[in-house]
Amino acid sequence: MIGKKKRYGSLEKTEGRDAWIMMAPAIIVLLVVAVYPVLRTFWLSLHEMVLTDPGSGYPFIGLKNYLEIFNDKRALTSIVFTLKFTIATVSLELLIGFTAALIMNKAFKGKGLVRAAILIPWAIPTSVSALMWKFIYNDQYGLFNDILCKLGVIDGYKAWLSTADGSFMALVITDVWKTAPYMALLILAGLQMVSEDLYEAAKIDGANVFQRFFYVTLPCVKSTVLVALLFRTLDAFRVFDLISVMTGGANGTESVSIYAYSNLMKFLDFGYGSAIAVLIFAVVFIISLLYMRVLGDQITDM
Amino acid sequence: MRKRVKQVIAGAVAALMAASMIGCGGESDSSKKSPDDQITLKFSFDQGVGEATQKIVDQYNASQDKIKVETVLLPQDANQVHDDFVNKLASGDTSVDIMGLDVVYIAEFASAGWLMDLSDELDASITDTMLEGTVEGATYEGKLVAAPWFTNSSVLFYRQDVLDQLGAEVPTTYEGWMELADQAVGINGVEYGADFQAAQSEALVCNWVEYVWNNGGDVLDEDGTVVINSANNLEATNIMKKLVDQYAPEGVTTYTETESEQVFKEGKCLFIRDWSGFWSSGQDEGSKVTGVIGATTLPVGPSGEESHSCLGGLDLVVNNAISDGQKEAAVEFIKYMVSADTQKEMTLISAQPPVVKEVYTDSEILEEIPFYEDFYGVILGGKSRPKSPQYAKVSDAIQRNIHQALTGEVEVQAALDTLQEEVEELSK
Repeated sequence: MIGKKKRYGSLEKTEGRDAWIMMAPAIIVLLVVAVYPVLRTFWLSLHEMVLTDPGSGYPFIGLKNYLEIFNDKRALTSIVFTLKFTIATVSLELLIGFTAALIMNKAFKGKGLVRAAILIPWAIPTSVSALMWKFIYNDQYGLFNDILCKLGVIDGYKAWLSTADGSFMALVITDVWKTAPYMALLILAGLQMVSEDLYEAAKIDGANVFQRFFYVTLPCVKSTVLVALLFRTLDAFRVFDLISVMTGGANGTESVSIYAYSNLMKFLDFGYGSAIAVLIFAVVFIISLLYMRVLGDQITDM
Repeated sequence: MRKRVKQVIAGAVAALMAASMIGCGGESDSSKKSPDDQITLKFSFDQGVGEATQKIVDQYNASQDKIKVETVLLPQDANQVHDDFVNKLASGDTSVDIMGLDVVYIAEFASAGWLMDLSDELDASITDTMLEGTVEGATYEGKLVAAPWFTNSSVLFYRQDVLDQLGAEVPTTYEGWMELADQAVGINGVEYGADFQAAQSEALVCNWVEYVWNNGGDVLDEDGTVVINSANNLEATNIMKKLVDQYAPEGVTTYTETESEQVFKEGKCLFIRDWSGFWSSGQDEGSKVTGVIGATTLPVGPSGEESHSCLGGLDLVVNNAISDGQKEAAVEFIKYMVSADTQKEMTLISAQPPVVKEVYTDSEILEEIPFYEDFYGVILGGKSRPKSPQYAKVSDAIQRNIHQALTGEVEVQAALDTLQEEVEELSK
């Protein structure tokens, strides 16, 4: 390279090219690990591929799998359930998380300890906490029944995980327990960035607590809250391990991910299962795009 | 000069990263041969029988030099074991040579071409020594694709002390047990008459087909026609629902074996329907019912004459993708595992029922486990769940519909009708 007269001149271009060379290995790894599986799943979904029937030759059938999804009552029920679950958990987590963040924002003794301790539910692996809560909801010796009985809310031990409503409530409670702290911490980070001067100015102008909250706090943390909401919505929509451990999808608690998993691993129907997986990917993608729209340019200001 | 150095370093780093990716792949072939030509076999199964099997494997390894068997343990959950094997076999993985596969998955794995055909290696001299039901369960389209390893069937365990106190005979019908349960509540800590597994899982399928068979019905008749919503089955399912609503713990529709056994061991139940292994595990440390458990056949319904229990168990299968040398060694090991002596040893240390018939009448065994005398009759009356490559879907349909019927979400007749339709769809 030395000695050759550079045709393209500018320093920027040379640096740009070097940058690409440096990034190439990382990009290649990403393509292989992240992009290729998605493309391959999409490719599989265009075929009829049931592993217990290797004689069929796995023919290409175009978009027939996707049409089947819309005719499949079980798939549609699982989508409805997943949406119900997402809305319930995300709104509760937003409420509880925001409240907790506002409280933690004030200086008080042991603030550091509280902030560390509040992350513990989030730190426990989902499968472990799901199993733990399953024991708590147990109808013979569960803590949930015990406490409610002692408080006089219910008269006898109930089998919470035996009914559709009971299971839904149990799943929502466990999920909120686990992720509200995560929301709280994200929002807390946003709250800390709001300058005290704004609050003082508002107080001088005679704003009360509510007005300060709605006109100073909320607009400033809007982008943080939206990012936190984005993560939580995506996670809630893809819920799998919580349901798998607690109810196995019984009592109407089958989410889209669980249904996709059943199709892939239990029925060995890789064509249909892949189609459902691609559907999940598409929905998650659209949700992200919508959130990005609302966030707009604000995300680069953070 | 500096520029040149930078470029060289950049290129070298890029090349290094690309080269390191080659390390990510690579096959894990288990046909390692040590200097003295010893073949290593990897044997994978669920840890429910972990300790006992490990002892047998160690004995085998110590007894000869040609083959070394290494064990790979999996969790005690039929679904998880199934998924793990599917993952490996679907990708042509050769890291596992022999697997302990649940009997219901034999047809599925065989139709996918993942199991080695053992018909030639394990001829009649071996299969004649085994229980017929187990050999039949290991056959797919006329070929022997698995070697029965141990079998199992369910038993009705009850509180002998409560029956003695009431001076009652052991009932043989569901009605008889329900009447007894009404009297038994309050005696010696009994709160619930019945105990079994009704969670939406494979255990529910095993439980339900027993009610069906014991009431003179079936899932498929001899021609393979689906006969699920027959009057007999409606009666049988209603009996099951009555037990769930009135005689079993409230959470029984969330119970698998573990939870149901726990309640019985606390002394709260009159009877429990469970696999035969509960005879020993139900009387271990911490159990409140040690020494007062009786065992009998499952009761029959009003329209049933014979009592049947559901057959379970594990078969040994050989991965069809491994090399011929490995396959030969695998067959050698299998022949060892199904020999009468090894089966007897295995039964003594694990209380898992053997597949070789003569072990049941062996005097040493009967001394250790006297209840095998009655149990031999039970296991001869064992029936297999419907065999089909689509078993996963059939089982899933049964699990969902029957669970909905038991929790009251759907009327029993409607659930059976839906199930009939769904299974008919699958059989097409």
